[in-house]
Amino acid sequence: MIRDFLFFTSEALISIRRSGIMMIISIATITVSLIVFGIFLLISANISNLTNYFSSKLEIRVYLKDSTKQDEIDALKLRFEAMPAVRKVEFIEKAAAWAEFKKNYPKIELSTLVSDNPLPNAFRIGLSDSAKITSIATHLKGFEAVEDVGDMGAIADRITAFSRYTRIAGIILVSLLTFATLLIIVNTIRLTVIARQDEITIMQLVGATISFIRWPFIIEGLLIGIIGGVFAIVFLVFGYSFFVMRFQENIPFFPLVYDHMTLNLIYLGILLVGTSLGIFGAYLSVSRTVKNNY
Amino acid sequence: MIRVKNVRKVYPNGFVALDGIDLHISRNEFVYLVGQSGAGKSTLLNMLYKAETPTSGDIYIDNISLSGLAPKQVPYLRRSIGVIFQDYKLLPRRTVYENVAFALRVMHFSRFRIRRQVAQVLELVGLQQKMHNYPSELSGGEQQRICIARAIVNNPPVLLADEPTGSLDPDTSWEIMQLLSKINARQTTVIVATHNKAIVDDIRKRVVAVENGRIIRDEQLGLYNP
Ligand SMILES: Nc1ncnc2c1ncn2[C@@H]1O[C@H](COP(=O)(O)OP(=O)(O)OP(=O)(O)O)[C@@H](O)[C@H]1O
Ligand SMILES: [Mg+2]
Repeated sequence: MIRDFLFFTSEALISIRRSGIMMIISIATITVSLIVFGIFLLISANISNLTNYFSSKLEIRVYLKDSTKQDEIDALKLRFEAMPAVRKVEFIEKAAAWAEFKKNYPKIELSTLVSDNPLPNAFRIGLSDSAKITSIATHLKGFEAVEDVGDMGAIADRITAFSRYTRIAGIILVSLLTFATLLIIVNTIRLTVIARQDEITIMQLVGATISFIRWPFIIEGLLIGIIGGVFAIVFLVFGYSFFVMRFQENIPFFPLVYDHMTLNLIYLGILLVGTSLGIFGAYLSVSRTVKNNY
Repeated sequence: MIRVKNVRKVYPNGFVALDGIDLHISRNEFVYLVGQSGAGKSTLLNMLYKAETPTSGDIYIDNISLSGLAPKQVPYLRRSIGVIFQDYKLLPRRTVYENVAFALRVMHFSRFRIRRQVAQVLELVGLQQKMHNYPSELSGGEQQRICIARAIVNNPPVLLADEPTGSLDPDTSWEIMQLLSKINARQTTVIVATHNKAIVDDIRKRVVAVENGRIIRDEQLGLYNP
């Protein structure tokens, strides 16, 4: 098995060396495709990071009627907490809200405008899913004790729509790219198969199985995929850290993705996509190009 | 062991190369296939290892029908049939040694056995000196001997030789035919397609004569001409 593997690998290397310029073009194309693929992954990781960031800041304020009694308030809190997509519920007593308001805006001479506390009792509700904000706000409005609901639904809707559209556009782009890359690999390997067709026929006549014939080409595809993947990763690692550096000089608090866990996962993904495309492309190419001599 | 039953072969261009062929060859037999150029000798041999398939009729090897053989099984059939090709079919970018060795590699022989058997067989055909040359650096006769070495290197039970002496001088032809006789003597069925009258008449064996795609004569210890 190892013996065969070494033989197949040396066959693949000979073949790569012989195909010269075509192989370079092929590797370059795969590298570029994988770079675009990686850029898409980085962008979508950042968008989802951004969405989560904003979502965690989104909240709904529920203002209660003054007539609501304490036991009703306690019951409401429990009911709100039990609702799906609700992360936390905090009660803000009207006196505390008023004190907070006065502390925040000390310059306004409130006592001259209003004598009594004009603020209602309220709940501050944090959500775990910003997409649900509008529907939850509508639902909350239906409660007997609720005077009014303040939400950031419009902003949340926009964030959700934005992340959905970028995801759809990304998926289309990546599918097209994957397809194009596959075509290029299939055709590159096809050329090396055609160049060796006579040899392959002779091998078949002396008893080689199709998988024996296929292996060197599979390894060739695998190597093309790995080399393209490594080039793309090197480019992305340097490109992205440069981008992060520049970006944070200008907008320091913007939540960019730069934890190693996520980034390594993305780079690993690129390598996997590169190698699978290489292997699959070679497989297709041999199956469709080698003359059937059995 | 080899049974050809009412085989007809029509090439895609409509040419009828063989028609109504019936032939039975026992284990360890030695058979000459003679006939004019274009008679259909190579076509018949090629069908025995499924390089060509009959248009109708069937061929059985060890009672296995070749028409019923799954494509997956064909490589294993071919490993049991050594073929000396009329046009050698050598790999131009590989050395003599590699050309012979890769037949064993295809069959997953160990590196040790490959080295040993290739060395033995190259010595047998007298090419051990040219082991590291490329086929283009050898004469026609030497190339033919690489092809012979490759065909017999794994001791297949059947050996098909299509004009094995086609480009050899009389002395070397004689040696090669002696070699084929020797291989036949160690439990190998040998079928030789040839135009070499001198040899057929000298080393007397069964003779099957083909003319215009039909068998016209089949005799034990026959002569090249009736
Ligand atoms: N692939 C092919 N397509 C069409 N006709 C073919 C093909 N191969 C062989 N033929 C024809 O079939 C006939 C028999 O060919 P074959 O090669 O079997 O002859 P042969 O007896 O081996 O001749 P030779 O002694 O010259 O080798 C010939 O007339 C040849 O032109
Ligand atoms: Mg012939």
